[in-house]
Order: sequence, then structure tokens, then C-alpha cells
Amino acid sequence: MSIAPRRWPVHVLLALLVMALTHALTVWAIPRLIMDRIITLGGGDAAMQQSGTWVYLPPPTDHTQRRIVMPSPDLLYATCAFDVSEQPLRVSLDTRYDRYWSIALYASNSDTFFVVNDRDAPDGRVDLLVKSPRHAGPSTAAQTVTAPTHRGFLLMRLLVNDDPVVRAAAEAARQALRCSDA
Amino acid sequence: MRRSIAQLSLLYVAAVVLGVASAWLWLTRVGMSGVDAVIWRTNLLAGSREADAYTRARISLGAVLALDRSETLYYTPEHDDEGNTLRAECRYRIDGTPPPARWWSITAYAADNFLFANAERRYSVSGENAPLDNQGRFMTLVGPNAADTDRSWIPTAGTGGMRLTLRLYGAGEPLQRDPGALAAPSVKRLDDCP
Repeated sequence: MSIAPRRWPVHVLLALLVMALTHALTVWAIPRLIMDRIITLGGGDAAMQQSGTWVYLPPPTDHTQRRIVMPSPDLLYATCAFDVSEQPLRVSLDTRYDRYWSIALYASNSDTFFVVNDRDAPDGRVDLLVKSPRHAGPSTAAQTVTAPTHRGFLLMRLLVNDDPVVRAAAEAARQALRCSDA
Repeated sequence: MRRSIAQLSLLYVAAVVLGVASAWLWLTRVGMSGVDAVIWRTNLLAGSREADAYTRARISLGAVLALDRSETLYYTPEHDDEGNTLRAECRYRIDGTPPPARWWSITAYAADNFLFANAERRYSVSGENAPLDNQGRFMTLVGPNAADTDRSWIPTAGTGGMRLTLRLYGAGEPLQRDPGALAAPSVKRLDDCP
């Protein structure tokens, strides 16, 4: 017994459908897999998370940084990975850093869903609640943003140069960033 | 029967492999769409929630965690002024006028999208450190060695592809609306490459 020759066109058509679906699934999955890796690597260690704040401060960017593509050597970074499925995330900052800085929030599919920079917050203060759509109720935070996905990533950028005074000020500014459970 | 099952299995396995391979080749070998300013191209959907699936995947592979254009414009040249692919073993002169942005930089990356290793730890030029001539233009060299190390120079290493990225933080609103209007820096290869 064998498959009738007249059935082969059906299988070829099905195979083309499988190919198209696999193609689409690959394109869909790549940003999510990359972000999953970034969120896992950028979340700091367990001890930091247990301490209630889990900001990771990577070393100044140079050619040895091979975690995330296209790093900018002119920026100092701070990161925190988050998961707001159980409870919202509180992000706060109080800095006098007088150069460019920004805080960007990324969803688990790599989309940016919120950005604040030094011009948006001229007093150097950020008080932000990041929540999932199912979290209701009032917030004491100055600003609330709804994350499109439960897991995500926060990236703070600070413009630096070779001046040690600027470097020290940027270091102090990024150490002022707090990510904690709300 | 056993032979037919084997043939069918092969057909469907080939379909899966071709599906993955075609996606990968499309994302890595076909250039990103976008707006051109002479040889420099910027994708207006980078880092945006409006990005389509292909743009999102390409950005994830080559520039993950990009910001959207209201915050930063990223330009990458597809080739040098003569249409040749940029290569790490070649020397280039980049010159132009400082773009209208709060801050800008040009950074050289190896084909793997990471910084070139160099002892000088020089990876970019920016609006802060690029010397300007009396016409207000900047000029920098990119390549494995510089003819005049007193001038601005971004060292490269090894052989293979190279990628340049022009970042504009806080670009002026006219440029955000029309990124193709950028007075694009020229990228001129200085000599024959090996």
C-alpha cells in the first residue's frame, strides 16, 4: 500500500503552507527570543532582586561589551528587567545630571512603549508606575504607564565623555535610579 | 508504504527548513527599507510600536533597543560614495556639516555589530570631540591606520564588513518630519583595499 500519486499535489500544497507559516513564525519569534535573552541577562542577580531594587549598572561601554548589539561608546547605561504580571513596577529617579539622559521602557516584543528624558523632566525627577492592564486602582506615583506585555526591559542612557567629572556625575545619576515592586 | 512516509516526512521537513532559512535570509540579506539621505538610510519605524514584523525582527537583529525617531534618528550608509561595500580593511574619510541635533555621533561597528577592538579605545566621533574647520565642517578618518594620527580617527581591525551609524539625539523637528533632508556626510574611500 502506498500514497496514491494523485494525493501528492495536496501534500505539496500543504508543504508550501507549512513553509509560509514557519517563515512567519520565525519573523515573529526573533525579536521575542532576543528580548527574552536581554531580559534574562539584564535583570541583575538574585541578591539584587531580593534587596527590593534591581538596577544593573553595566561597565562603561567598550569593545569588550558583547551582550547587546550596537552599543554606544558615548553612553553610560543602567538597566532593569521587569515582570508586572503579579505587581506593578515603581521606577524613580532624582538626579541633577545636566547632560542628556533618558529612560526607555521596552515590551517583550522589543517595542518602545515609554520614554522620558532630561527635557521632559527638567527637575531631574521621575516617579513612574508601570502596570499591566489588569492592575486597577489608584496610584501614588506621579505618572502611570500600562505595559503592553508583562515582561519588559528598562534602559537608562546617560551621555558621557572622557572628562572624569562628567563620568562621576553620570555614575551618581545612574545610581540614583530605582526599580522596585510597587 | 514505508517509502511514501519517508518521502512525505522529507517533504515537510524541507518545508520547515526552507521556511526558517527564507526568513533568515530575508532579514539578514535584504536591506532595510527606509528614507535615504544620499547614501545614509534611516528607518522611521525603528523602535516604534508601529513597526511591522519584518522591521521589528531586523531591528532586533541589528540594533535592538533602538529609540523611536522622536528621541533618536539612526542613519546607516548602505555603501561608500562610490557605491562600494564598506570594509574594515579600507580607509575612509567622512566629512560633513554637524547635523541639526542636540547631540550627534558617528560610530564604527564590525560586521557582527559590535565595536572594533582597539587599544586607543576610540570608537566614535561626536559633536563634542569632532574638530571643525574654518568652514564649520568636521572630518574624520575610519580605517585600520591613519595617515595623520593627529586628526580625528576611528580605528578598525581585521577584515570583512563594516557598519557606520550616525546617531542624532534630539534632532530638530524639521529633520524628524523629513529625515531625507539631512545634509548627509560623505564617505569617501581613500585608497585601494587589499
